[in-house]
Amino acid sequence: MRSKDTSPSNELSMRVMRLLSLASEHGDQHLAEVERDLVQMDVLLDEAIKKLCASFMAIHRVADLQQEVLDGLLADCPAASGHAARFAALRGELDRHIGTAVTGLQFQDMTSQLIGRMALHLAGMRDVFGTLDVNGSVPPESGTEALLVALGSVSDRVALRFSELEGVVRSTVNQRHMESGDIELF
Amino acid sequence: MSKTILAVDDSGSLRQMLSFSLKAAGYGVIEAVDGQDALSKAKQHQVDLVLTDQNMPGMDGLSLIKALRGMKNYQKVPILMLTTESGDDMKARGRAAGANGWLVKPFDPARLTEVVKKLIG
Repeated sequence: MRSKDTSPSNELSMRVMRLLSLASEHGDQHLAEVERDLVQMDVLLDEAIKKLCASFMAIHRVADLQQEVLDGLLADCPAASGHAARFAALRGELDRHIGTAVTGLQFQDMTSQLIGRMALHLAGMRDVFGTLDVNGSVPPESGTEALLVALGSVSDRVALRFSELEGVVRSTVNQRHMESGDIELF
Repeated sequence: MSKTILAVDDSGSLRQMLSFSLKAAGYGVIEAVDGQDALSKAKQHQVDLVLTDQNMPGMDGLSLIKALRGMKNYQKVPILMLTTESGDDMKARGRAAGANGWLVKPFDPARLTEVVKKLIG
């Protein structure tokens, strides 16, 4: 019967493999949770913006109808004409708020792009964690050399995954000014 | 007869806001969900201006511009990019592809219609 190799180098190999395996398992588990939360966040944000857009359109339709009624009243009732300037000023104010709301409703698009970007990074990181586990490829007690070969292979795979990720992920959303963006005509 | 604008964006809320703003200014609007959809709609209807996002699944904005500029009836049609991208490098690529202007999101409806009016009346 082969005796158990308790040399320090073998002990180190076992510990490194165990550490990589734990990092792989727990890393993937936690990132999967974050991924699920991000998906749910995107769903909630999308639902919120759909409801806000629908309300915005309905409010706008009602405001237009109100304006039609007011225009009719002003035309039919000369006594009310003294209020015409006030009504026009209120309509102008309403239009400015509508413009601001249209700008505000676009922030979901940018947020959603960022969430998509984060999801791609997370998926990439989960792949990386998946490559860390060398338990299956290095038999226990096979010695430091086998472990070194396996670690070299892990390093190559990790480098490859990161490089693949670079090519897939969109550029970030850098907006700092919360007003409307720049316009440039060529 | 009102001028028609092709509004291209993969975000439904963005398309809705674009459509709302441009229709309020008196333009007709055709919506497309990505570059491929836009190309197909541009072939079906001759539009007067194209307003496109850059980052979309499938065909992106720059590829769409190149494809449109390759079509005889879209060589002179104004094309504007409306995107979150604001880097000089991307703008230069847009210009080289044939874009006539670059608008960074979010857009202000009054400023957007001002630019559109300047280009197509």
